[in-house]
Amino acid sequence: MGLVDKNLSLRNRNKMLVGVWEDEDSLVDATQTLVDQGIHIHDVYTPYPVHGLDRVIGVKRSRLARVAFFCGLTGLSLMTLMIWYMYVHDWPVNVGNKPVRFTPSWIPVIFEGTVLCTAFGMGIFFFLRSRMVHGIKNDLLDVRQTDDRMIIAIETTDGVAEADVLKTMKDKGAVEVREMENGIQTVIK
Amino acid sequence: MIHDSLIRERLVTGDKTAADVTRDISRPILNQPSKAWKVGFTLSVIFLAIFGVSLFWTVWTGIGVWNINKSVMWGWDITNFVFWVGIGHAGTLISAVLLLFRQKWRMSINRSAEAMTIFAVICAAMFPVFHMGRVWVGYWALPLPNAFGSLWVNFNSPLLWDVFAISTYFSVSLLFWYIGLIPDIATIRDKVKTKTAKFWYGFFSMGWTGSTRTWARYELVSLILAGLSTPLVLSVHTIVSTDFATSVIPGWHTTIFPPYFVAGAIFSGFGMVATLLVVARKVMNYENYITIGHLEAMTKIIMVTGSLVGIAYLTEFFIAWYSGVEYEQYAFLNRAFGPYWWAYWSMMSCNLLAPQVFWFKWARTTPWFIFTMSIVVNVGMWFERFVIIVTSLHRDYLPSSWVMYSGSLTEVGLFLGTFGIFFTCFFLFAKYLPVINMAEVKSILRNRE
Repeated sequence: MGLVDKNLSLRNRNKMLVGVWEDEDSLVDATQTLVDQGIHIHDVYTPYPVHGLDRVIGVKRSRLARVAFFCGLTGLSLMTLMIWYMYVHDWPVNVGNKPVRFTPSWIPVIFEGTVLCTAFGMGIFFFLRSRMVHGIKNDLLDVRQTDDRMIIAIETTDGVAEADVLKTMKDKGAVEVREMENGIQTVIK
Repeated sequence: MIHDSLIRERLVTGDKTAADVTRDISRPILNQPSKAWKVGFTLSVIFLAIFGVSLFWTVWTGIGVWNINKSVMWGWDITNFVFWVGIGHAGTLISAVLLLFRQKWRMSINRSAEAMTIFAVICAAMFPVFHMGRVWVGYWALPLPNAFGSLWVNFNSPLLWDVFAISTYFSVSLLFWYIGLIPDIATIRDKVKTKTAKFWYGFFSMGWTGSTRTWARYELVSLILAGLSTPLVLSVHTIVSTDFATSVIPGWHTTIFPPYFVAGAIFSGFGMVATLLVVARKVMNYENYITIGHLEAMTKIIMVTGSLVGIAYLTEFFIAWYSGVEYEQYAFLNRAFGPYWWAYWSMMSCNLLAPQVFWFKWARTTPWFIFTMSIVVNVGMWFERFVIIVTSLHRDYLPSSWVMYSGSLTEVGLFLGTFGIFFTCFFLFAKYLPVINMAEVKSILRNRE
C-alpha cells in the first residue's frame, strides 16, 4: 500500500453519482442506509467534521498515532545521541566540577527535541497520506462543500444499481443529485 | 445518543446556519478593510517604527544605550521577554488543554488566541536575541561545531534550554495553528473572486476538499498535537523560570518558581486574550460567536490563576522567613518595603486583589469592565517580572554593588515597539485569515450532547 491515500483523488474515475445534502442528520442517515444496501461509498465531503461518519463508510482507523510514536522515539534517540556526542564524547567541559554524563539537566533539551520531531514527523506524514501539498489542484465536487453543503460520492461500477441509489438519495433528503462523467456534472433531479 | 441540549446555554447565539457562519466570519476578508481596521493598523505600524528605530540604535551603538549595569544586568529586556512569553501561553492553553478537556467553548476563541501565541513569541524572542549584544553571532547559541564558536553549547544551562524550548514552542504552535487553519483557508479559497487571492488561498489550502477520510486523520492529528502541546507549554515557562531558579540570587533561588510562573503565564495570557476579544467581538460584530458566556469563562480562569499567583507571592514570603536565611529574608523585605515598593504593591494589587472582583457576576459579564480589568492584569504581570528581576538584583551581596535601575528611552521604545510588532501582525491576521475557526464553530451550532 502506497503512502498517499489513492482514494482522495477524483481523477480517472468511472462515472460518479453525487448527492448533495444540507442537513447533517439526514446525511448520516442516508449514508448509513446506502451502506446497509451494500453500496460502496467512495467518500463523503463535509464542511466540518461529522463524527462517526468515517466508521459508517468503512474508513479504517488511522495509523498516524503509531507514526507519531516512532517519530518521537527517533527524536528522543537523536537528541540523546547529540548531547552525548557533544558533551561527553567530543569535548567534555568541566563546569564547576559537575558531572557531564546523563544528568537530569539533559532532560529539557531531549524533551523539546522529542516534541519537535513528533509534531513535525506526524505533520509531514499526515500531509503526505492526505495528498496535501502546497498548490495542488483541488478535486471539488461542489463549490459549497467547504461552506454549508455536504456531498456523498458513489463510484458506479458494474454491480451498482443506479436507479436504486438515486431513489435512496432522494428519499433520504438529498437536495440535489448529479451524475459526473469525465469531470462534467449533470443534474439528474 | 445525540440530541439537542435543552439545558446548556448555546455556545453560538442568533440561530446561525453554517452558511451564516461562513458569511459572517469571512466578511472582513472578502470586503475592503473597515475604518477601524485602518486606524488600528496605522497606529500599530507607528509603534512598529518605534521598535525599528530603538532596535537600530541598540545594534548600531551597542547595549550601552540600555541602562542595565553590572548589578542589574537584566532589566526591561528580560522583563519584556518573560512578559511576552507568558502572554503566548493562553493560546496553547485554550487550543490544546481545553481540547483535551473537551471544552467546546474554546472553539470561537482558539484561532485568535493561537495567533496571539505566535505573535507574542516573536515579540519575546527579540529581547534575549538582541540582549546578546553582537546579534550577528547569535547562532553561537545553537549546537554547532567548535569551528563556528568557542566550544559546544552548555547543556547544563537553562539559557540553552530556553533556546530549545522557545524555538520548539514557536514551531509546534505554528504547525498547530496552520493545520487548524487549512479547512478555513479552503472555505475562503472557494469564496474569493480575484485571481491573486484564489492563487494564494489555493496554495495554502493544500487541496483541501473536506473528505471524511481526511477529516478523520485531521482530528487524530489535532488531538495528538494537543497532547504534545500541553506538556510543551508547561515546559516552556518552567524552563523560563529555571533561568532564575537555578541561580544563587536571593529572591530567585526558589523551587516554587515553575508552577508559579506557569500560573502567571496563563493569567497574563488570558488577560491579553480578553483585551483583544472584547474589542474584536464589538468591532467585527462577532457578539453571537464570542458571547458573554465566553467572556465569563475567561474571567473565571483569570480569577483562579490570579489567586494562584497570589498564593505563590505569599508562599515566597513565608519560605523566606521559614528558611532562616538572612539574605532571602532581606530580599523579600526589600521587595515590599525597599526603594521599589511601588512596583511590588502595583503587582500585588493588580494580580492578587483586582481579579477578586470576578467573584461578582456583574464583573464577569460586563464587557467594558472586563476590558479594563484585562489591562490591569497585563500591567500587573509586567510589574511581576520587573519586581522579580530588578528588586532581586539591585542590592547585591556587597553593598558596594547596590545600585538603582530604571529603563532608558531606548528600552522603553523597544517595549512599546513590540506592541507594534504584535498588533501589526494581529491586524494583518484579522484582515487575511478567519479570526474564528469556522469549521469547528459549524460543528457546534446545534448544541448537541
